[in-house]
Amino acid sequence: MKSAKEKRPAGQKQYYRRKKVCKFCVERIDSINYKDVKLLSQFVPERAKIMPRRISGVCSPHQRQLNDAIKKARNIALLPFTTE
Amino acid sequence: MPNYEIMFIVNPNVAEEEIDKINGQIENIITSGGCKVEKIEKMGKRRLAYEVEKQREGYYVLFTTNANGDILKECERRLRVMDAIIKYITVRTDEEGRRLQKIKNYRQKRAARRGSGSRAGTGQSAEEAMQ
Repeated sequence: MKSAKEKRPAGQKQYYRRKKVCKFCVERIDSINYKDVKLLSQFVPERAKIMPRRISGVCSPHQRQLNDAIKKARNIALLPFTTE
Repeated sequence: MPNYEIMFIVNPNVAEEEIDKINGQIENIITSGGCKVEKIEKMGKRRLAYEVEKQREGYYVLFTTNANGDILKECERRLRVMDAIIKYITVRTDEEGRRLQKIKNYRQKRAARRGSGSRAGTGQSAEEAMQ
């Protein structure tokens, strides 16, 4: 991510983007379990797709665990594959 | 011995006693194979995320066991045959459990170290790297 302090050509707005942090690292959530629908559903937006890392800011080891958990949850009808 | 979880969904129109009977049958398969059922958890009725066998609701049951592959195969076969079962899944849990234990141990060790005089501080990055 570009530093906000970097000089830009005149006229262009300087705006500051907040650094995203991994929810699981910050809150020390160790296990991402497929039964925890409340947790997992935070990472499936309304079209029921898995939220990409670039949007949610989850770190890659946790994203991998999250992926597995969501896919298991889909298999046992805890989460939808898609919305009707 | 690996640990497994078997989760299955029973048709919601089935009576409570029938569910107990199914649980008994599965438990019987596992125990007769010389393995243990650690926990049977009836998670109750809940809405399914999508329609399965024309049902929008289901009764969830969770088994935790240390059964081996052959017994699990038999359980799955039995679950597939039973009409009341709409869906099932078997998940291996021991590797995940070991990983969690490792993290827990690490945290404890760190907490102990912190307790014995050294300053509380920036061990977080190391911890994150470990995960």
